[in-house]
Amino acid sequence: MDRKSVKVVVAGGFGTGKTTLVGAVSEIPPLTTEEVLTQASVGVDDVTGVEGKTRTTVALDFGRITISNDVVLYLFGTPGQDRFWFIWDELAQGAVGAVVLIDTRRLDSSFPAVDYFERRGIPFVAAVNRFFGECLYTEAEIRAALKLDDTVPLLWCDARDRESSKQALIGLVRHALARMPVAK
Amino acid sequence: MAYDVWDGDDEAQAGRLVPLYILVNGRTSPRNTNLDLATQVIALPVDPSRLELEYREILDRCARWVSIAEIGAYLHRPLTITKVMVDVLLEQGYLRVGVPAQQKIADRRLLETVLAGLERL
Repeated sequence: MDRKSVKVVVAGGFGTGKTTLVGAVSEIPPLTTEEVLTQASVGVDDVTGVEGKTRTTVALDFGRITISNDVVLYLFGTPGQDRFWFIWDELAQGAVGAVVLIDTRRLDSSFPAVDYFERRGIPFVAAVNRFFGECLYTEAEIRAALKLDDTVPLLWCDARDRESSKQALIGLVRHALARMPVAK
Repeated sequence: MAYDVWDGDDEAQAGRLVPLYILVNGRTSPRNTNLDLATQVIALPVDPSRLELEYREILDRCARWVSIAEIGAYLHRPLTITKVMVDVLLEQGYLRVGVPAQQKIADRRLLETVLAGLERL
């Protein structure tokens, strides 16, 4: 049987609990893989200090869930810095979709993620991480602040909790299925 | 022994003598552009003794299906290099590749399998 990989992206602003969520549901402790970006043509002839000058390391945290004998789900957290969009492109391509985590103390920090998936028509759910305590906003206020389309599910979760994080993933897969055209 | 042959044995102790990009002949991207960081590979029963240490280290991680991202994480290698090295091993018949996640998900049954799997967790 063919071995299949399925991807889910866990996105959100800095410190919204992405790695926490990955760790809560992953069957292995979250791993970190690195992408090294080299600035083309800078310092090519200058060997001294090349490492410091022209290389940027972007760390990606990820986990895995074995779904069946031949299907494994990989959960990738987006890099903390929003500017590495090409890495988001690699993560998002072919992905089931994304769970965008939201910290209600800093709603705007998750706006770039919402905007990214919205623009590309990639299915996503917005998950308000309760970790940060009482939510001061109503669902309507959060939707308005993040310009969330009415069709995007808004969930509440605790990224530290396995069951709660699992429900966020289930919500995403259901949403992706609902958006998929029914095959004739 | 009369033959002047270096079997590479002292390599492990000495540490890496050549930069990784030499090992991949300066390639900067995999020939197989379908390779994605979530693509899984598994070692084929082929004798790896002719390979350089860095390639054998990858094969050692592939006794069971494992993703490119996991190989990179375990061996502390950048993803791009890992991808190119896995591609070289595929090309030379040391690895078998699974279905890449890079394909657009248009498979309702696959999503239903994922949903059922998550609900069972």
